[in-house]
Amino acid sequence: MRNSTPKDIGSINFGLMEPEEYREMSATKIITADTYDDDGFPIDMGLMDPRLGVIDPGLECKTCGKHSGSCNGHFGHIELAAPVIHVGFTKLIRRLLRGTCRECSRLLLVEDEREEFQDQIEESRKLGRDLNDVTKAAIRQARKKDRCPFCGEVQYDIDHEKPTTYYEVQQVLTSEYSQRIAGAMQGDEEAGIERTSPDELAAETEIDLTRINEILSGSFRPRESQREAIEKALDIDLTEEDTNKLMPSDIRDWFENIPDEDIEVLGIDADRSRPEWMILTVLPVPPVTARPSITLDNGQRSEDDLTHKLVDIIRINQRFMENREAGAPQLIIEDLWELLQYHVTTFMDNEISGTPPARHRSGRPLKTLSQRLKGKEGRFRGSLSGKRVNFSARTVISPDPTLSLNEVGVPDRVAKEMTQTMNVTERNVEEARRYVSNGPEGHPGANYVRRPDGRRLKVTEKNCEALAEKVEAGWEVNRHMVDGDIVIFNRQPSLHRMSIMAHEVVVMPYKTFRLNTVVCPPYNADFDGDEMNMHALQNEEARAEARVLMRVQEQILSPRFGENIIGAIQDHISGMYLLTHDNPRFNETQALDLLRATRIDELPEPSGIDDEDQPFWTGYDVFSELLPDDLNLEFTGTIGEPVVIEDGQLIEGTIAEDEVGEFGGEIVDTITKIYGNTRSRIFINEVSTLAMRAIMHFGFSIGIDDETIPGEAQSRIDETIEDANDRVEELIEAYENNELESLPGRTLDETLEMKIMQTLSRARDNAGNIADEHFDDENPAVVMANSGARGSMLNLTQMAGAVGQQAVRGERINRGYEDRTLSHYKPNDLSAEAHGFVENSYTSGLTPREFFFHAMGGREGLVDTAVRTSKSGYLQRRLINALSELEAQYDGTVRDTSDTIVQFEFGEDGTSPVKVSSGDDNDIDVEQIADRVLDSEFASEAEKEEFLGTKRQPTNLSEYADTRFVEETEEVTSDD
Amino acid sequence: MVDVSQHELVPDHSVLEEDALEEVLDEYDIDRTDLPKIKRNDPALPDDAAVGDVIKIVRNSRTTDQAVVYRLVVE
Repeated sequence: MRNSTPKDIGSINFGLMEPEEYREMSATKIITADTYDDDGFPIDMGLMDPRLGVIDPGLECKTCGKHSGSCNGHFGHIELAAPVIHVGFTKLIRRLLRGTCRECSRLLLVEDEREEFQDQIEESRKLGRDLNDVTKAAIRQARKKDRCPFCGEVQYDIDHEKPTTYYEVQQVLTSEYSQRIAGAMQGDEEAGIERTSPDELAAETEIDLTRINEILSGSFRPRESQREAIEKALDIDLTEEDTNKLMPSDIRDWFENIPDEDIEVLGIDADRSRPEWMILTVLPVPPVTARPSITLDNGQRSEDDLTHKLVDIIRINQRFMENREAGAPQLIIEDLWELLQYHVTTFMDNEISGTPPARHRSGRPLKTLSQRLKGKEGRFRGSLSGKRVNFSARTVISPDPTLSLNEVGVPDRVAKEMTQTMNVTERNVEEARRYVSNGPEGHPGANYVRRPDGRRLKVTEKNCEALAEKVEAGWEVNRHMVDGDIVIFNRQPSLHRMSIMAHEVVVMPYKTFRLNTVVCPPYNADFDGDEMNMHALQNEEARAEARVLMRVQEQILSPRFGENIIGAIQDHISGMYLLTHDNPRFNETQALDLLRATRIDELPEPSGIDDEDQPFWTGYDVFSELLPDDLNLEFTGTIGEPVVIEDGQLIEGTIAEDEVGEFGGEIVDTITKIYGNTRSRIFINEVSTLAMRAIMHFGFSIGIDDETIPGEAQSRIDETIEDANDRVEELIEAYENNELESLPGRTLDETLEMKIMQTLSRARDNAGNIADEHFDDENPAVVMANSGARGSMLNLTQMAGAVGQQAVRGERINRGYEDRTLSHYKPNDLSAEAHGFVENSYTSGLTPREFFFHAMGGREGLVDTAVRTSKSGYLQRRLINALSELEAQYDGTVRDTSDTIVQFEFGEDGTSPVKVSSGDDNDIDVEQIADRVLDSEFASEAEKEEFLGTKRQPTNLSEYADTRFVEETEEVTSDD
Repeated sequence: MVDVSQHELVPDHSVLEEDALEEVLDEYDIDRTDLPKIKRNDPALPDDAAVGDVIKIVRNSRTTDQAVVYRLVVE
């Protein structure tokens, strides 16, 4: 394995396989349906023939001599007693039958048409279009011919009965032709059709009168031309459908005669695939390695589904041959043929519509070839695109605010399992020995070592000391994971690239992965039982790549909207709000405590001296310690007031969600873009720890009392609601008296509904406003809503004021019983109460009826989210499959795998959303960026001037150079 | 009838001259057929565009002022 180089695939060709090729590659012909004899040995030329490969360890393959594991197995073959149709090609077979002549097998297209389609096919190939469109059109054109242009044979329609039966539908003379002609000659007085005499008929059809009479008596069957003449004369139909079943052998003969040039027009490469190969005469038998039998505990052998199916095929095949040799009647032969067709069909696909699936004895449908490939658990999606991997771990996650956002807490037992390979050199040999001597149980230990000769030794508690001494440069040591190692961390569903990020390991006790809460937004993680996966990287290249490209700090800016996706959340925001909102004062101990977990170990000059002569530090000053010293920023903040930062000092404003939050907190965003990811990581870490200290300093809790309002306010709310109810009643009364005027474009009913909804939502808002009046700014729910940490004023309204109207599908609740929502109400009651208006607040409690309506609205929300996630998941899967092969090339273009251009410039502007920031409100400020670059480039103003300036500097190139330059160039002006 | 090519949201479509086309194909090292396609009956196309021509489309871009795209006219 170690020295094998990967091979390049030059090209892949798909086509049909010739029966002779099946025979050639076959290791043996299979003739008996039995697998093992009484002694448990495989029977020769049976389904488990030892030439088909080995599955039992220790045995030798009779074909290639290799042992199990290295022998891939060899195909066998079954000679089918009669040809059968391959289910995978039924559509193509139907097309060919319809498009070719039943007599001479040529494509029913004249030379010109054929050439035209040939050209179209070539064009489609060149443009990378679907060939099917052209071939379908070709067949459609061919089907229009009712006679072969080459041999003149009449063509019949082909009927396809799914899955594998084909009929020729011929229009033949009905057996009741004489009655029909006689009936039509009678005429119909009501319809105004005159009688026709035999003489007239004879004259019109130019058939002998005696012939006509013979036809009328039924003693002569009219020829085709005569039939058509009579049909025309009498305006009747003398035909009936006659179906003629096409046996697979007929179809095979038919296809054998199709000339190569003709199938090229149908997009088939005649050199590689002949259409008659779609009808099987030989069935390949998959090697035993593809259908291993398993030995159960009781010693019984249990065969694979494919083997069961093959047994069926061989049995029927045998019976078919015996019956045919014995000269059985055609009917029995045809039945057996059909049975053989069924078994071969289900061997390949057991989920064909219209065919009962082949079942196991227990009644479980068999998993045959196509079932192995198809679907989520199939070979492609289940085993090739994604598979189980080593060096991975999965467990529950829990929060740890003491970790950096770059880190992940890894349980020690995981760290002992997931090893990293250490290449021992002269310089780390001591370290390597230390790992080995700790053994597999002690923490920074080792599990395996590999000697230079390639032999792998397990480190055990017993041999670790001795082994450690033997370790030399050139060995490899699989040591345990230690602090600082880099791992990949992932939470499903992996919807964007931030769902998989690299973290640095911190080995910890207990059994959960620990992460800093600020990385919850990119992973969309919470701690209600979420689990996450970890992958230990296994080579230097991967580790370097992960560290440089995938580390959490490299992902702070989201490519989705070009702003930070990582930032302070929830309590961090409440904490920052409390720290900065009223700019509170802290004494020295308090200030030091706030900054305890940051890099700041010395307080700045005190902000002032208080009345008791003690120095104090304000919240602004404490926060400013975390800012870069030269940061300047001015914008409108979360609470609608300006935030001003000058020279790294917060001058004005409250720090909350829009300042430091996830999804575009202005300060975090700016720091990341100007000072880089590392500075930003430090800032986010420090803001979150400072905020935690701050919120703990002030204390933050919420309880039912925080949402209770005084009785006086409650009665005002009750009044408002009463008022609204009255107004609704008035509306209903007006409606019933037909006094209501309908709004433009709405019916009267809709108008009433709208007005009621309006009235009630205003009532809820009023109730909320009354409740809000009684909450001061220190109220924790208000703090959370104002700072943007969690919740909104609406939540507060619903808790303290009134919950308000419940809706299902955007309307008041209208469902339930006939003309009413619940049996508690009179029919056609339009009142607020009867249609889901909840007057109570969550604090005061809902009545049973209100509760029921509330549950109805709540259920809709739940169902919606469930439906949305599955819908959008599938949509995303399809999108990703469609886009996955697109790649940005070094020349800036975006191309697919066949090198066709999708975009001439990545995103049509060649920029990464992470590297530029522009939005509707801020175009890129090129001036500012240029200034910044220049400022950082030059040490002094003079140097900058020298570079940018228009004055040419004296040179020492030549004595005359300076004068020459001055003469030639009057003034050099800069481009801008 | 409305001439969509005059609409402000429809970018400028023009037929690319043969030598300019050579340059473009050289620049990207591609054949004509590797270009993105545009249907002949696309209302934004100039009247003289024929199947097999290459159309140069110049779009306004918020980030780069102008984004140039080439498309091959097909049936």
